[in-house]
Amino acid sequence: MATVRAKGYAHWEGAPVERRFPWWPITRTGIMLAFRRKRFKFAFAMSFVPAFVFLVGLYVSERIDDFRHMIRGGNQLLNITPNYFKAYMTNDFLLLPIVFVLAFAGAGLIADDLKHNSLQLYFARPLRKADYVLGKMSVVAFFVLILTALPGIVLLIFKLVFAGSFKFLLDYPWLPLSILGVSALLTVFFSFGILLLSSLSDKSRYVTILVFMSYFFSDILFGILYGIFRKPALALFSIRANIQQAGAFLFGQKLPHAFAAGWSFLVLAGICLLAAAVLHRKVRSVEVIR
Amino acid sequence: MSVHQRIAEFAASAREVSAFFFFLGRRGGKARVFALLGLIPVVLAVVVRIVMHGRSEDVAAVFTEILMVFFLQFYIVILSLFFGTSIVAEEIEGRTLPYLVSRPLTKPGIIAGKYGAYVLLMVLMVTVNLALSYFVMNSDRLGAVSLYVTFLRYAGVLALGVLAYTAFFTFLGAVLKKAILVGLVFGFGWENVIQYFPGSTQKFSLVHYLKSLLPYRPMRGGGGYLTMLLFRLEPTGPAVSVLTLAAVTAVFLALAGAIFRAKEYLFEE
Amino acid sequence: MSAAVIRAESLSKWYGNVLGLSDVSLEIDSGITGLLGPNGAGKSTFMKLVTGQMKPNIGRVTVRGRRTWNEPSLYRSIGFCPEPDAFYEDVTGWQFLTGLLRFHGYGPAERAERAGRALEVVDLFKDKDRLIRGYSRGMRQRVKFAQAIAHDPEIVILDEPLSGLDPLSKRKLIKLIKSFRSEGRTVLVSSHVLPEIEALTTRIVLIHQGKILAQGDIPYVRELIEAHPHVISVRSSDPRRLASRFVADPAVQKMTFDPDGRTLVVESRQRDRFFDLLTKAALEAGVAIDEITSPDDNLQAVFDYLVGK
Repeated sequence: MATVRAKGYAHWEGAPVERRFPWWPITRTGIMLAFRRKRFKFAFAMSFVPAFVFLVGLYVSERIDDFRHMIRGGNQLLNITPNYFKAYMTNDFLLLPIVFVLAFAGAGLIADDLKHNSLQLYFARPLRKADYVLGKMSVVAFFVLILTALPGIVLLIFKLVFAGSFKFLLDYPWLPLSILGVSALLTVFFSFGILLLSSLSDKSRYVTILVFMSYFFSDILFGILYGIFRKPALALFSIRANIQQAGAFLFGQKLPHAFAAGWSFLVLAGICLLAAAVLHRKVRSVEVIR
Repeated sequence: MSVHQRIAEFAASAREVSAFFFFLGRRGGKARVFALLGLIPVVLAVVVRIVMHGRSEDVAAVFTEILMVFFLQFYIVILSLFFGTSIVAEEIEGRTLPYLVSRPLTKPGIIAGKYGAYVLLMVLMVTVNLALSYFVMNSDRLGAVSLYVTFLRYAGVLALGVLAYTAFFTFLGAVLKKAILVGLVFGFGWENVIQYFPGSTQKFSLVHYLKSLLPYRPMRGGGGYLTMLLFRLEPTGPAVSVLTLAAVTAVFLALAGAIFRAKEYLFEE
Repeated sequence: MSAAVIRAESLSKWYGNVLGLSDVSLEIDSGITGLLGPNGAGKSTFMKLVTGQMKPNIGRVTVRGRRTWNEPSLYRSIGFCPEPDAFYEDVTGWQFLTGLLRFHGYGPAERAERAGRALEVVDLFKDKDRLIRGYSRGMRQRVKFAQAIAHDPEIVILDEPLSGLDPLSKRKLIKLIKSFRSEGRTVLVSSHVLPEIEALTTRIVLIHQGKILAQGDIPYVRELIEAHPHVISVRSSDPRRLASRFVADPAVQKMTFDPDGRTLVVESRQRDRFFDLLTKAALEAGVAIDEITSPDDNLQAVFDYLVGK
């Protein structure tokens, strides 16, 4: 009689090592994949143009006498106050490139996983839904922070370096916190927003359109309503206007629209909560098709 | 094969493809989303009618100044961008291209057929939403013949816009992989910025010719991006505008067909 | 020269730096031809060239003497079942089939008749009104096959048609494909699963890294492998006594004994001479032979030898 070789299960006596940050591989891969896309590197590099322009502005402001003959009325424009930093961080000059970069890098974050049915693969690992979402959000956060917090702080440092003294910081000691605060606001909002849109379809091309449509349309809707009803509070319909309102509040500057900034924070928070609810529903390992 | 036979083959291909994709497009969820987007001006029209009851001149001005600008410079652009680039891109992404190119269909016929199907779908969406918002806004003048003439002009302008934009974006979709992003830069960047350039530079945009055909042109507007959408127009004559738009449509559609015929499209593995 | 249905002449195709096919010259006649090779061998590339989805970089490929690139009228007689699991969204099996049939110029009644017939053949008629995205993997594979045959093409190109099917469905589809031979059709079917090809046909083309390794009937291809010895397994009552009779003969290259103690495995470059030796030895030694098999006289062995495993 032939021998039957036992091929039973071997018991493993070790203990599983729990990863401290189980979402980190998702983040790392997401960032890597973004940079692998053709032309993304170019688009990402171009997003630093606003920072460069503002940096030049800082330099010019410290050498205003040398440039006076070139700039007429430039005193006001280049009088560096916290408003200068607010202008950098909440203007379309930066917001549009951020939307562009995120449409490129973020549209497929969940959409591609839905398309390739990868969610089952993710959740066949010791990964919670929160880890998955956090990992994906971190990809968006990476790009937004690089385009906001990093240049914002660098601009402040260069201001001090060009001025040759800490006077500016002593005059506005809360400025670094404002920069980080607005950066955090943009990071959290865009992270939720992009993931919300990415989870709505398995086609990243369609999500790209949704990203731009949401951003532009919200502002156009505000424009239409304002044109009809002339009420400043209608700016609450506009994502851009809400960001600018909240940003101005965090920088302690004059609010661009005549209503309390708290409403803008509420609208942005509401969108984040809606995103969280949708993500909770959409991100699951098994899709039942009836 | 004679020219006559080639044309017949092209026409047959375009006809059958058009019928199939019109059927598919109607069922798609994305068509519903875009149709709903077009309902927003209708809802606004109802709200305005109620709020501005008895002020028909103001109400009419809201349509001309604001809603029409929404249709012309946002709605048809976003529709054309999505559906135009989809003509080729969706077959590549969805890996359904073999089902078409291994059939007795000419490749230019495939492009023309899908173009026709999607343009018909878009023109229906735009016209219905335009009609609803226009006639709600002007509901106290429904007896006036001029109202209907003006509506037809508006609808005609938007239809021409859909034809021209979709042809251009179809061409982009046939040539480029990331046509959406280039299309966005064109549709919302170039088309808006070029209007601020003086003299003949405006003529290098499609929206210039469309605005030249409008029966009434907006003078003021709301805030935000809507202000940016307004313009300083030095209009071109209607005949030249229509011819230019028709020529743009024909040229880019022909180019798209030629490129689709010559190019190989590989799926990402 | 025979009138081959599909002819490839010095066909080469590359994608950027990656070589898909390299100098492939091939003639495929009517009947069933199996295209066999591992993943990435070039099978799908060849099929895409035959069905006109791609154009060659060098050489040419013709179907009934006509080049395949941009020849829509040629595609009337070709049915193609692609490998990817891809369909138009939100359509039922019925709508999918009738929709594609309209591209052949059929009217509504004929489309319905052909679609119904094709769906019956693949056992999907009762599920025709269900959305394809609700179909199982096997059902989707079958509806893909149905769209390839619904217009009764003379030439059927099947790229991994049995992938994802359960054994029963596979058997049915194999039977169906084999019936095409008697109808005089030309079928080119690809697979990387060797038993599937063996079940369908004896006529194979072996392809690896974009090159044709061998073409012909399985035994013929096997005979080509002069460089590799044939393996013959002999099960008998006394294999060692048997072995002692021909160990000195140069026809025998190598001998091993199986652990069961009853089987002698011989490697020989001269198969016919060895069989003579074996019968003589068995007679002289009085050893009863229970079984003689040639374990490598099948596709797996042929392929393994050719790809150098």
